[in-house]
Amino acid sequence: MGGLGISLGVLLTQLVSFLVLFGLLYLVLYKPITRMLDGRSQRIRESLEAADRAQQQAASSAEQVEEELARARQEGQELIAEARSAAGQFRQQEEERTRLEMAGMLERARTEIERERDAAVEQVRRQFADLAITAAERVVERSLDKDAHGELIDRVLEEGLAVRRN
Amino acid sequence: MGRLISNPKILALAIIGFAALLISLAGGALGSAFGGGFLGGPIPHIQLPAEKVFRVASYDVVNTSVMFWAAGLLLVLIAWLATRRMKEVPTGLQNLVETIVEFFDGTADSVAGGARHAGRRFLPLVLVIFLVVLIANWLGTLPGVGTIGRIEPVEEWVNHRLHDEEAAIKQSRKDQGLPLLGDADLHETALRETLSKNASEKFVVFSGDGLFGIVPIGRGEDAKASLRDIVDIDDPDIHRVEDDLHAGLVKRPPVTENDPDKYASLVGNRAGIIVPFFRGASTDLNTTLAIAIVAMVAVQIWGIRSLGFRHYSGKFIILNRGPINAFVGFLEAFGEIARTISFTFRLFGNMFAGEILLIVMAFLLPLIGIIPFLGLELFVGLIQAFIFAMLTLVFGVMASIGHGDEEHSASH
Repeated sequence: MGGLGISLGVLLTQLVSFLVLFGLLYLVLYKPITRMLDGRSQRIRESLEAADRAQQQAASSAEQVEEELARARQEGQELIAEARSAAGQFRQQEEERTRLEMAGMLERARTEIERERDAAVEQVRRQFADLAITAAERVVERSLDKDAHGELIDRVLEEGLAVRRN
Repeated sequence: MGRLISNPKILALAIIGFAALLISLAGGALGSAFGGGFLGGPIPHIQLPAEKVFRVASYDVVNTSVMFWAAGLLLVLIAWLATRRMKEVPTGLQNLVETIVEFFDGTADSVAGGARHAGRRFLPLVLVIFLVVLIANWLGTLPGVGTIGRIEPVEEWVNHRLHDEEAAIKQSRKDQGLPLLGDADLHETALRETLSKNASEKFVVFSGDGLFGIVPIGRGEDAKASLRDIVDIDDPDIHRVEDDLHAGLVKRPPVTENDPDKYASLVGNRAGIIVPFFRGASTDLNTTLAIAIVAMVAVQIWGIRSLGFRHYSGKFIILNRGPINAFVGFLEAFGEIARTISFTFRLFGNMFAGEILLIVMAFLLPLIGIIPFLGLELFVGLIQAFIFAMLTLVFGVMASIGHGDEEHSASH
């Protein structure tokens, strides 16, 4: 052993030196470095997870916005369609009403005109009858009984009117 | 290739390199046979045991301990600098250290079964072993390691061997039934015996006196003085011999075959050997054995902690299952010791051989010879540190997972 240089004293020196060195390096090197490494990998994992979550959140919120937009669009379209149909209906109604009104006014005007005409004809006829009677009285020189000859006169007038009308 | 050579810078580098190679060849040990050797140096004294550098109380501190402490200090300093102000986004030294730790963290996890943090309990020791062995190996390749040191005079060198010689003579006289010698006689006999035994032992000749001596460039291996050139070992007057020894100066120039007067100027210079202040920590078996013991003890602790003492020791002590199984258990136990020894000698052998390789290359090709081998040594140092750490990890994982047939038989 001595020839190889192995001696108990030196061996113990190196052994103790190594153990002390191990202790020192454990405290100065191993502990802080592994703490750093573990902390860093922990933080990286956490931030990756957070990023994942944020991405998911963003994706889901984008989806939500899309959905909402679609719904709003649909609602708008529905509103527009409703308004359009309501307007159409309203116009139709108005048109109908106007038509009816105009028809009513026309009808009224027509009956008015007819009545006026009838009244005018009646008046003319009556005046003509009186005139005719008066004329006949003069001709006949006798007084004709209005009631007794009224029928005759009427007939004459009717014929006369018919002629004129034609 | 042609384009490379036509580039003037590369051409100049190639010419300089080639010239340096030629100069190294002529100036080195090969050239000294042909009258060159102007760059050469002596091969340092190579020995397996670490050299003692200084004494604290009654304890001798060896140079490999010094280097081990230097490596430890450097490591703690690096660790402190790297972790002093840790940043979330690492830069510089912190980045480097984190990369190493992360690499071993991942490796330990994958070796220990793949689960995250499965290898965490092996990690501290594996990491520290890697770093310590790596830095210790690399510090061993620094210039000045093995070449700067104390000059051990010839007298001291002889005195180291004198005690063993005296003891041997005493023992042999006792064995042969001869009367014991007196102290003075014993000393003289032992001294003469030691001197004649080591008469052709070579010593480096230094220039300069006092604390500082250097070996000038070009004073190669053949300029070493033998013990015979320093001490007149056949002088009948023991006191003159002792005086010569004490002076430790060259009395006769080393004789060379073709030019007897070549080293005449060395007469009067101091002779001795260099005891380096620094020597790579892993070139000492004590260091590698100490780390191997720590590693193997840790392996046993990991095994016991994960399997329980009864289950783990069942691997080694197999009773009542026949003599073959008992022998298998004995082999397992022996295997643990063999692992420790192979740990020790693998690292030691590689690093010691590397040191000698560098010395020899510096001897053969003084200027540029060691450049490629320095690279090789850095690589070997890294690989050996990695192997040591990885084997510790693998043994630890193997010890902490159950041995299959044991569980199998337990279920019967």
